[in-house]
Amino acid sequence: MAGKRFILVACALSALASSALAGVVNPDISVIGQPFTRFTNDAGDPANKRVVLDPGEVESVFDAALNPYARGTFILALDEEGLDLEEGYFQILRGLPAGLAVKGGKYRVGFGKLNPSHPHTYPFSDRFHVLASYLPGDESLNETGVSLSGRIPAPGDIALTATADWLNGNTYRIERESSGAPNDPIVLGDGDRGDEPRPAWVARLSGFFPVGDRSGIELGVSGTQGTNNVAAQARTTVWGADVKAKLWNSETSYLLVQGELLSLDRDNAEWDESAAAYTLNSTTPLGGYVFADYNFKSRYNVGGSYEHFQEATTAETSDQAFKLFAGFSLMEETTAFRLDWDHLIPGAPGGVPEPDAVDTVTLRVIFSMGPHKAHQF
Amino acid sequence: MLRRVFLIGAALAALIPATAAAKVKVATSINDLASIVATVGGPEVEVFAIARPTSDVHRVEVLPSYMVKVSRADLYLKVGLGLDQWADGIIDGSHNSKLTIVDCSKDVPVRDKPVKADASMGDVHPFGNPHYWLDPRNGAIAARNIAEALAKADPAHADAFHSRAEAFAKDAEEAWKRGKALTDKLTNSTMITYHASWVYLAAAFDLKIVGTAEPVPGIPPTAKHLADLIQIVKAQKVPVLLQEPYFSKDAGNFLSREAGVRVVVASTSCDTPAAGSYLAHFDQVLGAIAGTGASTGSTN
Repeated sequence: MAGKRFILVACALSALASSALAGVVNPDISVIGQPFTRFTNDAGDPANKRVVLDPGEVESVFDAALNPYARGTFILALDEEGLDLEEGYFQILRGLPAGLAVKGGKYRVGFGKLNPSHPHTYPFSDRFHVLASYLPGDESLNETGVSLSGRIPAPGDIALTATADWLNGNTYRIERESSGAPNDPIVLGDGDRGDEPRPAWVARLSGFFPVGDRSGIELGVSGTQGTNNVAAQARTTVWGADVKAKLWNSETSYLLVQGELLSLDRDNAEWDESAAAYTLNSTTPLGGYVFADYNFKSRYNVGGSYEHFQEATTAETSDQAFKLFAGFSLMEETTAFRLDWDHLIPGAPGGVPEPDAVDTVTLRVIFSMGPHKAHQF
Repeated sequence: MLRRVFLIGAALAALIPATAAAKVKVATSINDLASIVATVGGPEVEVFAIARPTSDVHRVEVLPSYMVKVSRADLYLKVGLGLDQWADGIIDGSHNSKLTIVDCSKDVPVRDKPVKADASMGDVHPFGNPHYWLDPRNGAIAARNIAEALAKADPAHADAFHSRAEAFAKDAEEAWKRGKALTDKLTNSTMITYHASWVYLAAAFDLKIVGTAEPVPGIPPTAKHLADLIQIVKAQKVPVLLQEPYFSKDAGNFLSREAGVRVVVASTSCDTPAAGSYLAHFDQVLGAIAGTGASTGSTN
């Protein structure tokens, strides 16, 4: 009897999966591979002056409409360290009053233009040093939270959008090194109350200005603040301004120019043994990047970038980086090759000899299986 | 007297905004659906289309300005059959709760439904070939779907919408007969197309597609495939290669040079969203194929 039931259920599931209904009841599934090979002369890199082959991160994307007004998305990242939930969120896009939209779950936070995008959508291999240095998070500012966005009335077809996020704030946490003092809470085993909640916020205002019927310029300002040490009440605040212009000059070619300016204000908590209290030292570095990317014949792109930023730990030292990149799509958008050369010129405080520049060449292959999504500006 | 003036004034005041607000605002993915809705909706609708007629309708970038436009619309008319999936991003981004979405492919006899669809077959559409509007008789089916949607949005003008849809269906039939009379005169009705966009046009007007420049949909021509096409063109004396303006002209120039085929560049969409543009587009494209010099606007 149990065997018969099992066969019936298996038949029903098989029929469902193979029927046209499968596409209706199942989410869209995409899998994106990003293997790469890299060469660097960074003396601090274990692979210094050796070619590395790396399988890269595999992204699995599951997304579907939850109902006519809402969508759900899960993005799982698989790499040598294991499987990780990179993003998992719902969006209520229509049906709310005043044209508001809500997003909730774990997601790449909408600070600036580059952070919300996944690296495989960049025209180069890796995000800019300044973003890695200033924004909380290992690979991106990726947080659990809830986001409310709405459009502000504007003349013509200008799209003004305001977004506010309330975040869990865990990525803002900075582990303080023990001072070694006997009354240091870390030495006493109390820690810096690192497990306590530390809510953070992000706000963004952006405006898209159409140029002709296909090109456009987007301007945005973003701000975020979170607590990097709860016990010391040390905060990390980042302000940013960004611009993106995408200008088509034919049916198959366009110029993309994008830049971001960031200002970091970070309290660095330390323990004062004599006062038996925390002290806060603030650093307020400034930095930014700009890149230009020319896409032509639908399948090729070349570009370059420049970034200049004061180091996050000491604003007295400034680093610079140049990048040249080129890309090629083999047949169409499912398989792309991206080659880039990154030249980082680290700075040094006055009187200290500047370290050697670091050159890194990366060739990445991006192959995507699954439905093609619409291209978002 | 004063009371009368007040009553008339109040009535006029109520009427003016009502008249202004009575127009049904319609967004469409392509000009062809916009042109049909402009005909069926008449003065009761305001219409605009998202995709430019010279752009690849498979790949439309989702601009925030499109979302703003759609946020003001009452209806969104999709082509359907998986062609304009990008419209979902625009609709979602519009945050428009009152928007009604209409799939205009309803009741259209769909061609080229694949038994199996995967990327080894190129960029195939799992629900069948979605370029159905390139048969004017399918335009008539879309017009009836549109009339139905407009009638729900504006019941006071339902009869006008339905009668205009029927009048449009007659005009579409005439356009088909006109085009058929033109293609019947062709001594060789074979042609090559760049992409599998023109199967409905070919079927409607008895044109025979004997090859495509793309080896499979969405994949650029290879040297071997072009060599095979040269043999086909020479053997069957194929007179025309029909291709969209956004594809590279390299393959067409090569086939023209090596096999003597005449390249006709034509958009799959009509030039404007205005009433009449949709049916006029058939005269333009078929005239260009026949070489009668009727090409204008998006054809050359």
